[in-house]
Order: sequence, then structure tokens, then C-alpha cells
Amino acid sequence: MNKLYLWGIIIAAAMLGATYATLGYLKNGLNGDIINILAIAGAAALVIITIFVVIKYVRQMQVDQASGELADESWDNIGEYKNPLPFGWAIMFLGTMVWGIWYWTIGYPVNAFSQIGQYNKEVKTLNSAFEKKYANIKGDELVNMGESVYLVECVACHGLNADGNNEKDAADLNQRISEKSVKYVINHGSNNLKSAYPGGMPAGMASGADVDKLAKYVAGGLKGEKPAAWATCAGCHGDNGKGQPFVAPDIAGWNQKFIVNILDNGKKGAIGKMPVMDRLNPKQKEAVAAYVMSLSEGE
Amino acid sequence: MFHWLEKHPFFFAVGVFVVIAYAGLIEIVPNFAQASRPVIGTKPYTTLQLAGRDVYIKNSCNSCHSQLIRPFKAETDRYGHYSLSGEYAYDRPFLWGSERTGPDLHRVGNYRTTQWHENHMMDPAKIVEGSIMPAYPWLFKNKVDLDTAYAEQLTDWEFFGVPYNKPVPTKDGGTITVKMGKSVAESHALALAEAKKVVANMHNQDVKDAVARGEIPEIVALIAYLNSLK
Repeated sequence: MNKLYLWGIIIAAAMLGATYATLGYLKNGLNGDIINILAIAGAAALVIITIFVVIKYVRQMQVDQASGELADESWDNIGEYKNPLPFGWAIMFLGTMVWGIWYWTIGYPVNAFSQIGQYNKEVKTLNSAFEKKYANIKGDELVNMGESVYLVECVACHGLNADGNNEKDAADLNQRISEKSVKYVINHGSNNLKSAYPGGMPAGMASGADVDKLAKYVAGGLKGEKPAAWATCAGCHGDNGKGQPFVAPDIAGWNQKFIVNILDNGKKGAIGKMPVMDRLNPKQKEAVAAYVMSLSEGE
Repeated sequence: MFHWLEKHPFFFAVGVFVVIAYAGLIEIVPNFAQASRPVIGTKPYTTLQLAGRDVYIKNSCNSCHSQLIRPFKAETDRYGHYSLSGEYAYDRPFLWGSERTGPDLHRVGNYRTTQWHENHMMDPAKIVEGSIMPAYPWLFKNKVDLDTAYAEQLTDWEFFGVPYNKPVPTKDGGTITVKMGKSVAESHALALAEAKKVVANMHNQDVKDAVARGEIPEIVALIAYLNSLK
């Protein structure tokens, strides 16, 4: 018997023996499960078949003699038989040529699928659909859009009632400004809105009991008797509190520009820091502003 | 050699395999390595942030929160730009996660603040109506383990070459240097200085007092870590 076959039998026996030993070592072995038994039997059959197929071809390489009619030409004493090209090879050769032409002209993966490409397309489609659908949105619809944006983006801090958990986490949006905030701004100044009001507001424009009076007056919506110190505030914010462009914001009520400015720049105030919310698109910012304004209009 | 190869088909096949595998390697590996380099703007973690990361892992935050924003409009609208592989260059291990019981946190530092985290960890349902996140009151009492964090940091620096004490490029074109203590004592001092900045925006008096005494409660480190996720 050829040595190769002997080796094949030894390797197959060793592998089957190792499998058997491993199974015996496992607690439940094959567990009487027909699927397990079939899988192991299949694996054993595959091992045996593979080993003997490999042996067959290795043997063929060892003993086969080339045969056929030699061609007349001889290249450096290397002859060539006049065998026809095997049919399968011919098909593959032609197929490769066709594939090569297809690949270089159409198939080259320049325009193929990419995750980010798909994402960019999705964003573009949805953004243009959004712009088209809401180009002329106004009134109640804008407020409704603002509410839905609010419920996703703002509610985590300002809360469902928009009171910022009693001003513990965020500003109460049901009013323009709270007493606490007015006092803070008077004592610490403010430069939150540098882009719209480059000068900012210096700290300590009023002091002592004036601060409390002013806080009450401003937080109360500028109603009732004006405190004496209001004159200082009126210098920039105007006597009616409506503010002046590039000098001071409106402190009598909300307006869209002011709210959009805060969304773009964030804010640091009495309660803490509000993060920048500039990932909203311009329409959504307008909508949030409309919603916030609608909160205090209802009363 | 080629004559020899021609006569030995088996070794010829091995040679072909090696050549093609090598060609594949030099095409694939450099691209792959480029994608996993730190993105501009990604900074190494400070000792306090690393300690906060350990708190994050210890409390299994990653079981419910992923740190991987997928490229879908619905996600990028809510969480910001989709995640890039280079942004995890200093994460060992990364905390991608596959479970989102809570929202993604990969850029939470952009849209949440220190005092929000403080209130939220104490009682999540009170801050976010309907939240099923449990409260984590012990974070306000337990002291953070800076020594382990510093040991991690040293390993990152010495073994993985994380650029501590070296300028790192930032998004606005400048550079920033993340400091790492040369000794345990120095790392503690740096962490405490950072903790003081975090605590300045917090309300809880016990936590403020603890930091003033030189102790760092876990919540401070955790917030420092969450704020660094941008």
C-alpha cells in the first residue's frame, strides 16, 4: 500500500479518536440528541472525504505522466502538447474578459452604495420636503410645530409646564423674566447676547433696596408704579422696556429675535447655563419662539 | 528561485497567496489605521474624566445608554453629528453599546449642563416626566477612585502613547494640552482643581463641602466625564 494512504488512515483515525475522546470528556456527551449525532457524523464524513480526495490528487501529481501529440515548435526545449483547451477553462477565460469590460466601464464601485452617501441623500430629501411643506407656516400651525420641537428638545430642562421645575433647572418660560433673574442680571451684569447687543450690560447698575423694587417691577411685566431707579434702566431699555436695537433687549415681553438669539448662543444666568441649541433649523427656531411667546399670551 | 518555484506547484501556490495577502494588507491597513486616528477635536481624558468613566462603567450606564450615533436623520437631528471611528481613539474600551433603553450619550456634553445632570441623577423622574431611569443617590456620597483612574492614565500614556502633556489640535484650529500628573499627588491635585470648576455650577451643599475638604464624590467625576462627551 502507498505510504500516503497509510498517512491518510492514521490522520483520519486520530481526528475521529480525538472527537470521540472529547465527546466522552463532555458531561452529557451527545446527550442522545439526533441533531448532535447527525452533526458529528457529518463532520466525520467530511474529514474522511477531504483527506482521501486530497490524497488522490497528490498521488495524481506524483505519478501522472503527460501524454498526447507534441506540437512541432519547441521553446528552449520546452515542448507543448496539442491538447484542446478544456471547455470550462475556455468559458472562464471569455467570462473574465466580459467581466473586465463591464467592471471598468459600469461596475467600478465609484457610485456604489455607501452608508454616508445614503445618509446625505436622506437628509437632503427630508430637508427639502420640510422646507417645501412649511415654507409659509404661520399662526397656530407654527405654534404647534414649536410645541412639538419643545417637547423633544426643551422639555428635559424646562419641563412639561415650561416652568423649569419651579426655576430649579431652567427659566420659567410662562413669564418674560423672574424676579430672581432680574436681581441676578442687575448684580452680575449680562453679556449673553453679544452678537445682537455688543455692549452687554455692566454689573451693579442699581443697589440696595432699589434692586428688589426693580426686580418686582420688571418681573411683574412693567405694570404699576415705576420705582425711582427705573430711570437708570430706561436709559437703555427704554421707558416702556421695549429696548433698542444693538443697545438693549426688550424686557417687557418676548420677541422672536431674542429667543432665536438665545437658542443660537446659549445663556448663562441666575439658574445656570443653557446649552447652545443651534442644531434646530431656522424654521424650528422660529416655531419654538412662537410657542414660547404663546405661553405668556394665554394669560 | 523562480525555476525552483515553477517545479514545485505547492510552494508556488503558497507564494501566490503571500503576494496577494501582502498586496491586500498594504491597501487595507493604512486606510483602516487612518480612520481610527483621533479626529481633530478629540481630546485625551483627564484623570477626573477617566475616574468618571469608571463610575459610568461601574454603574452600568452603558447597559441602557449607547455612545454611537448612527448616520440616520432621525438620530443626527436628536443627538448631533453621526459618530466617527476616530472619536473613540482614547476610549479603552469604547462604550458603543447595542441597547438603547435610554437615549444615546455620545454628544451629551453639547446639550446638557452640569446642574441638569446633578438634579437628574438625584431623581430622574422628577426632571423628565415618565422617565424609567433609576435614581443614583449614592453617587453623591461615594468617593471616586482616583488612583485606579491615574493608573489607567499612566498605561494610556506610556503603553498606548496617548498624547498627555502635549498639544492636541482643536476644531477651531488652535491646540490644547491635556495635563497628566507626574506623580500620584500631582494627579490628585489636578483632579481636585478640575472638580472645583465642576462644583462651581452645582447646588448640592454636601458635594460642595466635600470638594472643599479635598474629597471628590463620584457625581463630580461622572459629570466631568459626561460634559466631555462632545
